[in-house]
Amino acid sequence: MHKEFADFINSKVSGANATVVEAEVGDSTVFVEASSILATCEALKDSDFEMNVLQCVTGTDYSDRIEVSYILASFTKNSELILKVKLPKTSSDATVKVDSVCSVWKSANFLERETYDMLGVEFVGHPDHRRILCPEDWEGYPLRKDYKVQEVYNDMVVDPPAKINNGDINFFKEIMDKMGDEKKVAYSWKKEDAGSSDTAQ
Amino acid sequence: MKINDLSMLDTNRARYEEELTLGKWFKNIWIALSTAFKGMGITMKYVLTVKPVTIEYPEVKEELPANSRSRLFNDVDNCISCMQCADACPVDCIYITAVRRDKEAPKLKTDGGTPIKLDLKQYTIDTALCCYCGLCTVACPTQCLTHTTDYEFAQYTLGEMKYDYLASDIRAWKHRIVK
Amino acid sequence: MIEINGKPYTGQEQIKSDLLTLNMGPQHPATHGVLRVEIKTDSEIIAQATPYLGYLHRCFEKHVENIDYRGVIPFVDRMDYLASMSMELGYCLTVEKMLGTEIPKRAQYLRTIIAELQRIASHLMFFGTYAIDLGAFSPFLYAFQDREDILRLFEELSGARLLYNYIWLGGVWNDINDDQLRRIEAFCDKMEENLKKYHALVGENKIFISRTANVGVIPVDMAYQYGATGPVLRGSGVNWDLRKTRPYGMYEELDFDVIVGEGLKGQVGDTWDRYYVRMMEMHESIKILRQCLDGIEEGSIMGKVPKVLKVPEGEIYMRTECPRGELGYHLISDGGKTPYRLKVKSSCFTHTSMLPEMAPGMMIADFVAAIGSIDIVLGEVDR
Repeated sequence: MHKEFADFINSKVSGANATVVEAEVGDSTVFVEASSILATCEALKDSDFEMNVLQCVTGTDYSDRIEVSYILASFTKNSELILKVKLPKTSSDATVKVDSVCSVWKSANFLERETYDMLGVEFVGHPDHRRILCPEDWEGYPLRKDYKVQEVYNDMVVDPPAKINNGDINFFKEIMDKMGDEKKVAYSWKKEDAGSSDTAQ
Repeated sequence: MKINDLSMLDTNRARYEEELTLGKWFKNIWIALSTAFKGMGITMKYVLTVKPVTIEYPEVKEELPANSRSRLFNDVDNCISCMQCADACPVDCIYITAVRRDKEAPKLKTDGGTPIKLDLKQYTIDTALCCYCGLCTVACPTQCLTHTTDYEFAQYTLGEMKYDYLASDIRAWKHRIVK
Repeated sequence: MIEINGKPYTGQEQIKSDLLTLNMGPQHPATHGVLRVEIKTDSEIIAQATPYLGYLHRCFEKHVENIDYRGVIPFVDRMDYLASMSMELGYCLTVEKMLGTEIPKRAQYLRTIIAELQRIASHLMFFGTYAIDLGAFSPFLYAFQDREDILRLFEELSGARLLYNYIWLGGVWNDINDDQLRRIEAFCDKMEENLKKYHALVGENKIFISRTANVGVIPVDMAYQYGATGPVLRGSGVNWDLRKTRPYGMYEELDFDVIVGEGLKGQVGDTWDRYYVRMMEMHESIKILRQCLDGIEEGSIMGKVPKVLKVPEGEIYMRTECPRGELGYHLISDGGKTPYRLKVKSSCFTHTSMLPEMAPGMMIADFVAAIGSIDIVLGEVDR
């Protein structure tokens, strides 16, 4: 099934370089070159496959690249396809660029905005390119693996010290000091938590 | 200001500009009256036959089903400090510290017969963070951590929502609310 | 000065008025949650509407990257809090498909019963609140009275009224007893009568028809363009129901019809059609429930799932038919204990994106009817 898709894309779109990643469990995917995504989507929509619905645009952050997945479905032929592009990532706060498919499916409008908001993928040619879920002045892209929450936002402290569970942390530390030996104490605290602020948010 | 191609505009506007003839006018009135009276009949049936179903809460209290997931209670005498509840908790609101029991100290057992090898020093649940999912009670091997059907425990401050189950006043619940 | 298709738009020709910017929400009762729609109106007619989302954004997708697979279930509950069971079912099916778990027959029947009861509860909620949106109060009370029966049953089964955590990986948490099965049967009989009454009370009412027929029409091509699913797509006259076209769980063996909007009171795809699809779907759910009650058999309710769950490396996209439309989970696993990435394709989110195109030319009161008819839950939109 996916082989057909890849062959079709290669024959219709020059330079798409579609390759199939066959999966043993779960779904197989088709990778195409990032520069040809718009042409590929147009071709798939008008072809015999009749990919008339764009279900989902989403991205995944790997350390060196961001993979943007386009999940297409045909409601007339009852089929679906996961189409992916690889975008090399340079730094944690720089956006990566790919063509927008808003001209093919209108549902891409909100979905691409969400992907931009969460993963920092810039869609070139998007008619209304803003953040959608986070506020306009939010910094960083939350779903990247190396994301760090900004400490102060609009004069509000994001992780105020008053909310840190000091009582319990101190109790745990006292016991730890008293026993001296770490092996004698069993605890539910994660190691990095004791003393830092993560647990009590 | 420029608005793009809006195909819906004409459809929507056409609705307000529908032509109205005298016949249509009378027909509209007739349909409106007849359907309204039909609806009134149904409403009237409810008024006359259906008894009130609301519970007048503070005076009348609802009895929750036996496996309702409300306030958590840990019977610390039976706890073996295995940390499985803390591992299962998706919001990390259970804090446990336990110290290895001296070898000379008298041997302790739970009601079920499991030997207790750790002395529990801290067992705190921040119920303000708790999402009442029930995963901790399922993980508990000695069934000492349970949800009770006690649902009235609002507090004035967040600090009061933190339950230290080793404190004597909370230990006293054992005879009151454990199901 | 607004221009539409190159021509100047004069609005109500005789009276000249400036565009008025009006914020509907985030605390507007008719938006069913915290949705803010910024509308520009020319007197009563809307010229432009822009939805602003994110008031309920919790970044659930980031959360679950740090939680083991079992712990995710309480979080998916909180997306569409009016149909938590359906959310859980979709998630569990996704992970189970990756694991290759076999689900016992009884658990499958139970899941189907629960999912259909949840569909009825969710549609009853729609019916009640939609009537309130349009000015009718008593249907709300009737709908809640019936919904209460379902919630009480769910409470007895799972222990909670709204956020159940009942459907687990491999099966369901608690077993159902014969008494509860009989109660569901009695509920089906009662509900069938009541639904007819409700439809006569609201759906056939002239005022209701005037408010809904020909309002907020979504033609088929627009529905496809925006990726509409569920009752919204079926209201536009498309025979598409995942339970039929891509069956999961028990649905292959069950007999039911797909309700499609026919434009009985106006055009195909108007808000009345979407209301009609939901009301008739409840009848189909009752049909499914009866078949499940006949077929349910004794047996275990949990399949074999390893205690320390590790999902094999790979990815999957799984769709299920929820009361509000298709819910898709895109799970990427790196073979560890936690999901590497879990993307939720929410139907409400895509439906919200239709508002800017639906709104222009509507009156403000009709816009309320249009928002109500696509039946969004903001917990699922923002996640």
